[in-house]
Amino acid sequence: MKKMLLILSIFLLIVVTALIKNSTKKIEDQIFAINENIRVLNAHLEDVLLEYNYLSSPKKLLQYQSQYFENDLIQMNIVNFKVISEKGNQVIIKNFTLNSENND
Amino acid sequence: MIEKDSRNIVLEEYENEFSYKKSQSNLNIEFNRIAFIFFIIFTISLIYSIQLIHLGSLQSNNKTVTSSLKKKNYRADIVDNNGNYLAKTVSSIDIGINPVEVIDKKKLLINLQLIFPKKNFSNIKKKLNGNKFFYFEKKITAENYEKIMKLGDKSIIPEAKLTRIYPQENLFSHIIGQIDDDNNGISGIEKSFDEKLKKMNESLQLTVDTDIQFLIREELIKFQTIFQNIGSAAILMDVNNGNILSMVSLPDFNLNKRESIKDVNYINRATKGVYELGSVFKTFTIAAGLNEEVIKPDEEFLGLEKKIYCDGRPIGEYDEISPDLTVEQILIQSGNIGSVRIGQRVGKEKLKLFLNNLGILKKIDFDIEEVGQPIPFRWGKCKLATVSFGHGITTTPLQLAKGYSIVTNGGYNIKPTLIKQNLEKKKKSILKKGVSKKMNLILRKIVSTDEGTAKFANVSGYEVGGKTGTAQKSVKGVYSKKKVNTFAAIFPMSKPKFVLIVLLDEPKVNKEYIYYYRDDRPPYKGNWRNTAGWTSVEVAGKIIEKIGPILATKYIEIN
Repeated sequence: MKKMLLILSIFLLIVVTALIKNSTKKIEDQIFAINENIRVLNAHLEDVLLEYNYLSSPKKLLQYQSQYFENDLIQMNIVNFKVISEKGNQVIIKNFTLNSENND
Repeated sequence: MIEKDSRNIVLEEYENEFSYKKSQSNLNIEFNRIAFIFFIIFTISLIYSIQLIHLGSLQSNNKTVTSSLKKKNYRADIVDNNGNYLAKTVSSIDIGINPVEVIDKKKLLINLQLIFPKKNFSNIKKKLNGNKFFYFEKKITAENYEKIMKLGDKSIIPEAKLTRIYPQENLFSHIIGQIDDDNNGISGIEKSFDEKLKKMNESLQLTVDTDIQFLIREELIKFQTIFQNIGSAAILMDVNNGNILSMVSLPDFNLNKRESIKDVNYINRATKGVYELGSVFKTFTIAAGLNEEVIKPDEEFLGLEKKIYCDGRPIGEYDEISPDLTVEQILIQSGNIGSVRIGQRVGKEKLKLFLNNLGILKKIDFDIEEVGQPIPFRWGKCKLATVSFGHGITTTPLQLAKGYSIVTNGGYNIKPTLIKQNLEKKKKSILKKGVSKKMNLILRKIVSTDEGTAKFANVSGYEVGGKTGTAQKSVKGVYSKKKVNTFAAIFPMSKPKFVLIVLLDEPKVNKEYIYYYRDDRPPYKGNWRNTAGWTSVEVAGKIIEKIGPILATKYIEIN
């Protein structure tokens, strides 16, 4: 009787292991498929970023400026910079100044 | 006789006592059969399990195969401080044709001409008539690849390759460096981080900023045509952590062309070029004097000679200046004799130790291997005098940037770097408290006062300070008329954040160039002075004007 139980339990364990392995294999397949999709999307994103980097590079931007926005895009003088901050309901606009603390 | 005997038959009762018993041995046979069946089931299950495990492990094996393929020519991408690509590995397809397998050459040529109407087909026609495999089109676009493969010709052979591309072309040529055809780095970051780039999965992020690098390079190129210099270099560095935001050396080269460059004029002047930089060294002499507490900024040096002799060689002033000067005025007016006297007061050993601590005299440990070795020399009495005003001592612009950073940042040691690190480093102080504060006040006056030599860099709103250096270039150990003009700018002076070094190699005077003063004075045309104040300072001023808004809004904290 003991031997029977032992064999039966071994058999059951094998069957359960096989079933679990089978079900995890399905999950692994899904994970693999998702990972592959992410990889493809990442590759696509990298290509788009590369294109974006090229098209928005300073060289290209200056080219666009001379072609389309010659009079619209001008260099800002730091003196004309303003700092906008919010305090409660109030919007405070201050002149932009570089830090004037001493470092020593 | 036999017959007689056969008559006497005797029947004897045979006692056969048969009884059925359930023997123990029979029962054992029955149990073994069940065990056998179970054993068979067990074996089948085991085989099934092994098969499942095997199937499961197949995926990981596939992964390693693909990753090993990927690793062959793989290099991690290099990005700038804002995540813009500076170097990227992309897969590309080259299309080759094996003429032996072409069935209808005329038809193939017509089809190819339809897909590539701008391509010159006279050479291809010749190659098609031959027997050797040849590449028809390299790095083909996805659209053309689809079209060409739809032709379904067996002779068309696509070859997938990994290619390294540099979207910024010349912009970072000296920093990024080149790779050879075997995917090995041969210069710059590509060489010094070769193994790391081949192994790492994520991008290598640098501290440089593409926009700033572009603007600085544009200005250097513009002024190269104005001052006709053979080359130039500029370094923009954060004085507090050594992060290099820009490092330009001209002339440069397009990394995508993969040219073999042997012309020495293409060296990285910012790190590899070893120069005698002249008066920019006076800042270190004064800083050493303040650090050793042998001088004070307002201390007067009275009756300074017009000319002194050292080993028979005269040391004089470039311009006529007063014989009575304070320490501050000596630096502002760039007095040679005054600097010599301060250097002598500091002493040979202490000045040597001070320059060593700043990292001026020895080869610097940097992220790329193209680093120059300052020329060693013997310290004598005469050498102490010449070193005090920046003659007879050489270093690289990168080391100069480091030295100026330490002098102005409060005296903290820094290590110039191109690699972005998010770790906060412990600050080690090299200078005594108060030295930087005193130096910064003087350096600001060099730019902001009329007495100073760097008025053209006084860009409104940035509190620029700095020191000029005009040096005669040594050719084969003899001083020539050729110049190296340098300006080391620091800004904002009230709380230094950036050091900008601008070096012009062999500039010439330009009498047509119009200088616009940064105060109310009218423009000035026609320069005859080939000094840093009229060349490098002008370039630095224009650079700060251009990059200032980006630095102020992106890199300086607004209070």
